[in-house]
Amino acid sequence: MSNQLVQILEGNTFVVSDDRGDIEASRTDPTGLFSFDTRFLSRWVLTVNGQRLTALSTDDMQYFQAQFFLVPGGGTVYVDAKLSVIRQREVADGFREQLRLLNHENSPVDLTIRIEAASDFADLFEVKDALKKKGKYGNELVDGCLVLRYQRETYARETWISSTEPASIDEKGFTFNITVPAHGEWSTELDVVASEGLADGPQAKAQPAPIGIRGQGRPRVREDMAHGLQKWLQKVPTVESDWQAVGHIYRRCLTDLAALRFSTLTLPGRAMPAAGLPWFMTIFGRDSILTSLQALPFTAELASTTLLALAERQGTRIDDFRDEDPGRIPHEMRYGEMTAFEERPHSPYYGNADATPLYVVLLDEYERWTGDAKLVRDLEQPARAALNWIDEYADLQGNGYVSYQRRNQKTGLENQCWKDSWDSISYRNGDFPGFPRATCELQGYAYDAKVRGARLARHIWQDTALADRLEKEAADLKRRFNRDFWVEDGEYFAVAIDTDGRRVDSLTSNIGHLLWSGIVEQSKARSVARHLLGPRLFSGWGIRTLAKGEARYNPIGYHVGTVWPFDNSFIAWGLRRYGFKDEAACVVAGIMEAAEVFHGRLPEAFAGYERAATRYPVQYPTACSPQAWSTGAPLLLLRAGLGLEPQGDNLIVDPALPLRFGHLQICDLPGRWKRMDAFGRGRVDTDRLMGRKLGGKQPPAG
Amino acid sequence: MTADPISQFFANLAAPGHLATFEGHSATLRFDVDDGGQAQHWYVAVNDGDVAVTRPNGVTRQNKGADAIIHVDRLPFEAIVTGRMNAMAALLRGVLTCEGSMAALMMFQRCLPGPPGSTGRVAPISSQTVMAQRRPM
Repeated sequence: MSNQLVQILEGNTFVVSDDRGDIEASRTDPTGLFSFDTRFLSRWVLTVNGQRLTALSTDDMQYFQAQFFLVPGGGTVYVDAKLSVIRQREVADGFREQLRLLNHENSPVDLTIRIEAASDFADLFEVKDALKKKGKYGNELVDGCLVLRYQRETYARETWISSTEPASIDEKGFTFNITVPAHGEWSTELDVVASEGLADGPQAKAQPAPIGIRGQGRPRVREDMAHGLQKWLQKVPTVESDWQAVGHIYRRCLTDLAALRFSTLTLPGRAMPAAGLPWFMTIFGRDSILTSLQALPFTAELASTTLLALAERQGTRIDDFRDEDPGRIPHEMRYGEMTAFEERPHSPYYGNADATPLYVVLLDEYERWTGDAKLVRDLEQPARAALNWIDEYADLQGNGYVSYQRRNQKTGLENQCWKDSWDSISYRNGDFPGFPRATCELQGYAYDAKVRGARLARHIWQDTALADRLEKEAADLKRRFNRDFWVEDGEYFAVAIDTDGRRVDSLTSNIGHLLWSGIVEQSKARSVARHLLGPRLFSGWGIRTLAKGEARYNPIGYHVGTVWPFDNSFIAWGLRRYGFKDEAACVVAGIMEAAEVFHGRLPEAFAGYERAATRYPVQYPTACSPQAWSTGAPLLLLRAGLGLEPQGDNLIVDPALPLRFGHLQICDLPGRWKRMDAFGRGRVDTDRLMGRKLGGKQPPAG
Repeated sequence: MTADPISQFFANLAAPGHLATFEGHSATLRFDVDDGGQAQHWYVAVNDGDVAVTRPNGVTRQNKGADAIIHVDRLPFEAIVTGRMNAMAALLRGVLTCEGSMAALMMFQRCLPGPPGSTGRVAPISSQTVMAQRRPM
């Protein structure tokens, strides 16, 4: 039995198999060939003379390619193999698999090779929730292809399978009766295409139509993906540091980001970051925006594509099922059967309260780095609509604050902020507030969106009246916020205010985002920074989502005590914004050291245990890895460590790096200055500041 | 004819001559609406927010080269233009097909109405209610 899963992908098509390359999915087992949120193969099993194979080794060469070295026979008994079987698989709009058999005997050998194929055409949501299918299945042989087919009314999906070598094909698979000469080789290429079906059935067209591009006359192009990855790696800046791990972490980030790139049907050839691999390879407003922000100093293409793609799908009407409003930036897009039949709202779903203000933040930050005023002009309408949403549609309580409450009470999201699990927002005593909820970081984002929107209005849209109004509103919001959200007896900002205007008074990492947004009054900033690096929030590796001592604190609770690298990266940026260089360096040190332990790939979250207690960061189990915003975290931490900040046509470099970095240099940073190099030397003794050598419990100075 | 929601929809679309939601976009779309084997056509031309709608008798030289050609049956299209069916879901379902530019269809769907019952409002929920629904700590 093989348990180890191998996954490869390209765009939103991916294959998850066991280490032999076989797929044997059950209803809820997440293996298979998936494309556009639908499983196109749930069974793909290779046998030789009726025998299953055993993996000698498996190699995922690239994120889109894997190779399986196999021998006949199974189980634990040693097999004296006279035959090698090599499967090499590459994902395209389905996958191609080269199957090679090598005969090591001195005489020819007769073999029966069998590939069994089947598909349940499950929607990803069905895989998750184990739901029943409503349509009909039927397999056909068309022009030497095996076509697996599923149909429900006009919705049809097909899997087309063909082989370059002649085979006897039946409705369950391919059989090859072959003779391999002495010390000889036999091979075939199997081509599997995930296709959109026609209501009339596959006979009507006699060739597959890869999903989403029917009628576009686009031939099936097989891009040279290895070349594409190489080109991507050549375009980005280089990073070198005396701390060897930094270069390794950086390269891991770039390769993972490359794998997370995703092209939409409307913007072919352009890439935006999807949220996570493989289950979240789709447009997520929040994740795509935050990852684009993290990566901006290194590559601006992700940001521009994200801005364009989200504008195309920006809300234009009131739709309670999708929690859509005019101007709202989408939360999540899905393409599966349940979305198609409006059993799920993801076409797209709009239930988030942060992506819309963050959209304006990204647009402004993008212009500050690139000087691309044209895009800001092209996206003036969507940006204005986003700014309008903040005041017109997000102020659910009429109190001048952005709040959220789902209108789709069945399949909508309860918590529409980044901490979107059910128990993420609570009072100190563990009680939950009602709805609508106005969480604090949303007010920070709204403030930042107004300030940045004002800059764009004044300098690029030439609309002084709008700029004046936004600046006035921002100043007013900041004043009210610092009064209404401030928890006097704790000297920090409440995580939210509830329906009665009462402060939801637990201490959370959300206050770090407030520094990033700039909504915190100077007089309150030091106290916020002290909490962030204090013993209740700071674990030694990073800042916990919820502070120790709160009723719901749990070091292995999803949003109630774990440390999120992405969260920390934005907090580090925020600490720099308010001049807390040493504190920012502590966050940079903690998360980069964790990244080193995780071999360069930071998980979505890790446990909030005290660093001194576990010595290693303990990974929180998640289905997706890499996760886009965890992948982007080291990039933003490098920015925070070097203090990179565009100012007009110049790039300011103001390093405050942990000692460990020694010398750090980033060469060829792209931007309005064309290309620039940035250098820094690690001078902040973060070990001393974190008190690690003194026993691990002392809060840092400051 | 006034009872025909599709004609009504296109008449309303054309009436103002300009739609802010289309600003910055230019595209042409031809709708081939199948009414029991009989095709009806509408041709929409958008030029940086300016909207013109015509109703050609058939495929003409002008509308042959539309950026997007949308094929759809009358009944589901009536549901789409009155907000009872979501256009993007209909596309995924195969109820509506788009030949040519998907971007043109993405632009067009911006002017479609939301579901008839949607109000944008929902009653607040108190902390007590939320706590009652939750398992105790």
